[in-house]
Amino acid sequence: MAFFITSDCTGCTACKSICPTSAISGEKKQQHAVSDAACIDCGACGRICPAGAVANPFGRIVSKIPKKNWVRPFFNLDLCMACNICVEACPANALDTALQKIRDLHPYPFLVRESQCMGCGFCAQACPVDAVTLEKSAG
Amino acid sequence: MNIPGRSKGCMGSIMVVDLSARTIEIQPVSAKVYRTFLSGMGLAAHVLYHRIPQDADPLGPDNMLGFVSGLLTGTGSLFTGRWMVTGKSPLTGGWGEANCGGHFSPAIKRCGVDGIFFTGTSPKPVYLYVDDNTAQLRDADSIWGMDTVETETLLTARHPGARVACIGPAGERLSLMAGVSTDKGRMAARSGLGAVMGAKCLKAVVLAGSKRIPVHNKEAMKHISRICNKWVQFQPPFLPGFLTAPVGALLRIMPWAFTQDGLLYKVLLRKWGTVSMNQISVEMGDAPVQNWKGSNSNWGFFKNLSANPDLFTRKEIRKYHCYSCPLGCGGICRTKGRHPRTHKPEYETVLSFGGFVLNRDLDTIFDINETLNRAGMDTISAGHAVAFALECFEKKIITLQDTAGMALEWGNPEAISWLVDQIIARQGIGHILADGVAKAAGRLGKGAQRFAFHAGGQELAMHDGRNDPGFALHYSVEPAPGRHTNGAWLYYEMYRLWKKVTDAPKIPLVYAKARKYETGPDKAAMGSANSRFLNVLNGSGVCLFGAFLGIDRIRIFDWLNAATGWHMTPEDYMAAGTRIQTLKQAFNLKHGIVPKDFALKGRPVGHPPLAHGANKGRSIDIDTLMADYWETFGWDRKTGRPTDPQIAEVTDIS
Repeated sequence: MAFFITSDCTGCTACKSICPTSAISGEKKQQHAVSDAACIDCGACGRICPAGAVANPFGRIVSKIPKKNWVRPFFNLDLCMACNICVEACPANALDTALQKIRDLHPYPFLVRESQCMGCGFCAQACPVDAVTLEKSAG
Repeated sequence: MNIPGRSKGCMGSIMVVDLSARTIEIQPVSAKVYRTFLSGMGLAAHVLYHRIPQDADPLGPDNMLGFVSGLLTGTGSLFTGRWMVTGKSPLTGGWGEANCGGHFSPAIKRCGVDGIFFTGTSPKPVYLYVDDNTAQLRDADSIWGMDTVETETLLTARHPGARVACIGPAGERLSLMAGVSTDKGRMAARSGLGAVMGAKCLKAVVLAGSKRIPVHNKEAMKHISRICNKWVQFQPPFLPGFLTAPVGALLRIMPWAFTQDGLLYKVLLRKWGTVSMNQISVEMGDAPVQNWKGSNSNWGFFKNLSANPDLFTRKEIRKYHCYSCPLGCGGICRTKGRHPRTHKPEYETVLSFGGFVLNRDLDTIFDINETLNRAGMDTISAGHAVAFALECFEKKIITLQDTAGMALEWGNPEAISWLVDQIIARQGIGHILADGVAKAAGRLGKGAQRFAFHAGGQELAMHDGRNDPGFALHYSVEPAPGRHTNGAWLYYEMYRLWKKVTDAPKIPLVYAKARKYETGPDKAAMGSANSRFLNVLNGSGVCLFGAFLGIDRIRIFDWLNAATGWHMTPEDYMAAGTRIQTLKQAFNLKHGIVPKDFALKGRPVGHPPLAHGANKGRSIDIDTLMADYWETFGWDRKTGRPTDPQIAEVTDIS
């Protein structure tokens, strides 16, 4: 199962640039294609495509969402167990850990590279204790 | 890179890299193999049994080196971040395995495979780089010679977000005490597999994949994880560190024993890490002292106070969690030595360079810890090598002429540090010691083998079989001998297997301590259950410290079914553990190992018995323990050989 690109593609390369696994290939101004083997179904290509040319694995066209409306992970440190599962689940390498609680030396996750976050929600899906929620960025 | 279809929980394939031919191939693994041997160590045993030829030189091109991840890694389960290095051990000539935490285990699966296996030998230094689209051998000339921290720093700068496993100078110089490092100081240290990596001219494995790991029932996984986490987060206040020694003394004095509950150990591990056991172990007789000839009598309270766990947490600047671990027993510490930071020394390191060499200087231990981590060398084996050298100096087998004038005296921190540096550099006396105590004793001659304590060539860990004969049994009887993670009576009590597995003998809440030292069918059943369950843990990538919580609190069998979609019973999983054990034993037999030769000899089994201390007068009947253990598997009592049908059952799977 993988996302795929329809003939509406204008070859703008936006999807190719954002794909965290370099699963998309294609020349500028030509229709792009998604590699089934490399696609991880994060959907970033669909959210960024200005032409509405990306379909999800079920064939439904994914609507473009303005970047400012993309969801971002927020971490409930009272629930978080600092297990790093979310950090490793992030395909965009946007998360890292750091000391955040006073007098608590455990390293908790945070969004260290916000510009790299694609709002895929893999971190929230992976968290075993539901300590990660997805919300629109305050900015 | 063509990646075949996946099954649940596992990725359904392995990567095979031929370093001689410079080819990289993805090979599918059948569902039957996973059901028979799980993944992780079981998968590795299946691959290596068939692909390493009988007379392969462990440091030659025919040996295979495998990096494998567990079946539960990345499935939403907890305590499942362990990865394993496997191959034919140059120390023992038989099955070799080393186990490590950190963040490398999910990285293997996120590259779309359950294991990466290397064969052949590269003519020049290389490292393997894998991401979602490529797998390449890249030139490592510029990083050959760097220590593990420098190597990882450089490679992660070059490949942001990647996870790295690498060797240091010890592996490059083919020291048989070399291991494989990740996270700048977590070591897969045992079995000498760093030397195998060095012999292949493979400096590092760099993984940057983002594949998703398929799970059958995600909600069930989360539900079980939440139950497990509640037990982990239960953390009542505990004693100050200096009172851990009296606790150990109390355990020593009492004529009866309580069934140990891993929840108590969890509290200690969360507060201090493994160093919590330093003084308890010395006082109760669990920690060997002075190359197995000492005891708590000559490393008593005021001396072992230097290992007070509070002294370690005072230097801790942050906790360290392995992947998917809610406990966080690790830490990053400040040091005063040659390096500003180090991973918090583990119990094994502290005792190896503390009581085992009668060293009371904690700063030296921190410095040696980082020095060995950077060199990529096993601290347990290195501690044994140093203690062996100190005793040989005491007995005048090694003289001042051999040491360039350095007096190798017990407890002299300067001499101990100097020896470590010599061993890493393979200079002078260090060259003799760098391949472990068995080889060093052979090189020195003059009766030095009387002071070299090992199981089949592998140095023993810092747990004394004279206190818990289960350690002595598992040091002797396992295909990869001499390792403390293999099992003990203590481990069996904490696993609480009788709560889920019908044939696991139940331990009474209170029992006479003398029972620990008896042999009999119950002991053999406990030993066998330890080995079989450990194979399940290593097939799943589960951390021992998680398993210590007890099988009713950390529900590994339920996690396995939820992750894979299988409907196997605990007994089915234990049967898989039996098959893995048989396969590893068959591996050793194929490579000419005589299982009885791994039996401990001399001081570690109380021959002669200690005249003082916690283990005074104790001798372990290791031959009976081993024979009884083999019999529970249906193997030959005298030779440890499985029957031909048993071997055929595990080797005919494809």
